[in-house]
Amino acid sequence: MKTKLLIAALGFAIAGTASAQMKPEDAIKYRQAGYSFMSWNMGKLKGMLVDNPASYNKDQAAAAANAIAAIANSGMGALYVPGSDKGVGYKETRVKPELFTDKEGVGKVAIAFNKEANELAKVAAAGDAAALKAQFGKVGETCKGCHDKFRKDDK
Amino acid sequence: MEKRYKLWDLPTRLFHWLLVLCVVAAVVTGQIGGNLIDWHARIGIVIVGLIGFRLVWGLCGSTYARFAQFMPSPARIKAYLSGAWQGAGHNPLGALSVLGLLGLLTAQLLTGLFANDDIAFTGPLYALIDKDLSDRLAGLHRLGANLLFVLVGLHVAAIAFYGHVKKHNLVKPMVTGWAEGEAESARGGGLAAFLLAVAVAVLLVWGASGDWLPAPPPAPPASAAPAW
Repeated sequence: MKTKLLIAALGFAIAGTASAQMKPEDAIKYRQAGYSFMSWNMGKLKGMLVDNPASYNKDQAAAAANAIAAIANSGMGALYVPGSDKGVGYKETRVKPELFTDKEGVGKVAIAFNKEANELAKVAAAGDAAALKAQFGKVGETCKGCHDKFRKDDK
Repeated sequence: MEKRYKLWDLPTRLFHWLLVLCVVAAVVTGQIGGNLIDWHARIGIVIVGLIGFRLVWGLCGSTYARFAQFMPSPARIKAYLSGAWQGAGHNPLGALSVLGLLGLLTAQLLTGLFANDDIAFTGPLYALIDKDLSDRLAGLHRLGANLLFVLVGLHVAAIAFYGHVKKHNLVKPMVTGWAEGEAESARGGGLAAFLLAVAVAVLLVWGASGDWLPAPPPAPPASAAPAW
């Protein structure tokens, strides 16, 4: 039994190395899922900070901010694998070809976003709603920084 | 003393300069984004009122503010280009610019009210349509913004051209209401017409604000959220 398990595990490991290059449509799906999940958490923050400040809750705000920071820190850049400039994940990708060529430009907007997302988590933990609202706006600006540069409009 | 005539009535002038202010503010807030995007929406709703007012004023305002007075036709444009056009108010080319700007701004309002930015913003009427359509309208809204830069650029360049080359100051009448030369002074556009245009504008602002939409259910209290 143990040997069987070992062989099975070994098999997976080998298969894993062979497919180290993720399928483009899978990469696109992970990307879309990541952005979509961040959007859910941005929406929760907006609800507490802008739409209905009475509903502000420190723990829930921190949870939402931590989720955004965690995804920002997860290394999503690895999901822009060769061949994933076009294709359908949950829906057709809107990435611009420039994202794959303008390494410096991408790095700039991505690092700006990561920095503000990490700051968001820090400010949320401190529990000052006004400061969090200001930081929430800064994060939104860095989302837009990439949208404006590296995302196509829906047709 | 030189001859002069009343060209632009006060409501038309107020509309014009308020629109300048609002469009500049809308462009700046839209470009920066972040928390200013909520101001972008508020300014957009004000512009709904301004454009709504102007459309009604174009039917019942004073002489030169009326669409029928300056509606450009191919024949009139041709006459203007050959130098044969005689008249006061918007010349046929200027009329094209006016209608183009009003039309484009109307399109920006209609798309913006339903748009979303995939960050944390949804337009005040977003709830009425599905996300896919909203995404497409948001794309058109961004495209429209680029077109707006072109049209506003042309508008300002034309005014500069008239001022410097043709020695015809178009800005002054838009400030004072009076133009030099011989033409009939504007008539009409009384208090009743003004109140009607304001009433339509207020109604449109209310419609655009989405305040009439059923309120979304309030978020459950934190204690009601599952612990996982």
